Amino acid sequence: MRIPIYQVDAFTNRACGGNPAAVCPLEGWIPDATMQAIAAENNLSETAFFVPDGDGYLLRWFTPTTEVEICGHATLASAYVVFRFLSRERERVDFRTLKVGTLIVRRMGEELAMDFPARPLRPAGPYPALAEALGKAPIEVYDGWARLALYEHASEVEALAPDFGAVARLDRINVIATARGGSGIDFVSRFFAPAKGIPEDPVTGGAHCALAPFWAERLGKSRLRARQVSKRLGDLYCEHRGERVTIAGKAAFYMQGAIEI
Amino acid sequence: MRIPIYQVDAFTDRVFGGNPAAICPLEDWIPDATMQAIAAENNLSETAFFVRDGGDYFIRWFTPVHEMDLAGHPTLATAYTIFRFMEPGRDRISFRTVKAGTLVVAREGDLLSMDFPARPPSACATPPTMAAALGKAPVEVRAARDYLAVFERASDVAALAPDFGALAKLDRVLTIATAPGEHGIDFVSRCFAPAGGIDEDPVTGSAHCTLVPYWAGRLGKTTLRARQISKRVGDLYCEHRGERVSIAGKAAFYMQGTIEV
Repeated sequence: MRIPIYQVDAFTNRACGGNPAAVCPLEGWIPDATMQAIAAENNLSETAFFVPDGDGYLLRWFTPTTEVEICGHATLASAYVVFRFLSRERERVDFRTLKVGTLIVRRMGEELAMDFPARPLRPAGPYPALAEALGKAPIEVYDGWARLALYEHASEVEALAPDFGAVARLDRINVIATARGGSGIDFVSRFFAPAKGIPEDPVTGGAHCALAPFWAERLGKSRLRARQVSKRLGDLYCEHRGERVTIAGKAAFYMQGAIEI
Repeated sequence: MRIPIYQVDAFTDRVFGGNPAAICPLEDWIPDATMQAIAAENNLSETAFFVRDGGDYFIRWFTPVHEMDLAGHPTLATAYTIFRFMEPGRDRISFRTVKAGTLVVAREGDLLSMDFPARPPSACATPPTMAAALGKAPVEVRAARDYLAVFERASDVAALAPDFGALAKLDRVLTIATAPGEHGIDFVSRCFAPAGGIDEDPVTGSAHCTLVPYWAGRLGKTTLRARQISKRVGDLYCEHRGERVSIAGKAAFYMQGTIEV
């Protein structure tokens, strides 16, 4: 069986920056175990698979070890593949998903804007295991689908050198570190998920479902410029719209090919 | 710039097993920083680059974070790519390298046999943190380029759950754990290189430059059947020939494409 594959860097305008995702358009579903094996073989933070579904597509995402219920950067990369290679006349693509409803991506010049659900976190008490795993105590901690550690300065987030074994043992799989940005950037962040095979994710669209509402409230503005300060760097433009958030960014093409299994 | 890319699983006869390597045939050398960025983007344990050199080839290998002086599985995968796609009439290739002399790969049926330098391990002091980092104390430790941690039973090696942060602090990049095999396998191994960006390498040809002389001496035989018991599993057919070792295995094709950087 031959399956087309693309590799696209999301949230950047240059190849080898942002977050690479593999994208496999399918004509029909293949066994889950095969999709999981392909994602492990690709060894990128996520591989997206989609099949035509009505006017849009049904989209699923796999890390090297497990299926995930939502993934921003691989959705952005999938939309890039649809707009550039599969359906050039489109300005909008609707991705149906198993667990998070329909995700709409619109093309706005070079930027692709995703409409995602807001997933705000709630304030939580101090969590010593989190401070210890990250190597520095945050000034505040928030909790929900992820643990969020708030720091005072962007430089503290940039300097974190987490103990990934200890992060993997925390009570949440997803860990976000964030702080206010400087020079035109509203906030910076990093994202760690060693328990699902990703010690540090280069750029994480889904984390901004929590970060956009969080910073919108703290800074008193709904439009936010964000930078994920991993080694590869990612730039995101967010808008908080109540129950929804817009997460936008550019994408850069890296590779096109065919796999044979 | 467009560059062809292949992904091949080495030391296995089935796709998704063995160790995946990316292979980029080049018409001429490109900047080191570009090769390093491509290897980081691919995020496989190694990406091999090679150019024509007389009637043969010159090869270099990059992990996601640095250039390697010697690497087995991407050499096997490169030979597979040349034999299958570029020069189907050939059955022997010499690869010139920067630091490891000339490596010859010969095809015998579906087995590809590599001629590598022997790197026999010498007795050494056991690093005080090694037992804690591996989670179990080895019965013997030796060293060459890599540490060789010898255990009593294959099940001891299979059960290791190392603390990768602690292993990364040892003074050698690669730590090999090994033990006698069973059911026709002479020895088993696992290879950890967290400081090189790879917590566990699925199958490691170059580790057998050290494993083969050690087990040949200990078992009193020169032809050895080896299995690397990572999750993906690799099978290696080895021969100790004094200053050199022959390391052979099969390979499985996964993907072919073009990158644009």
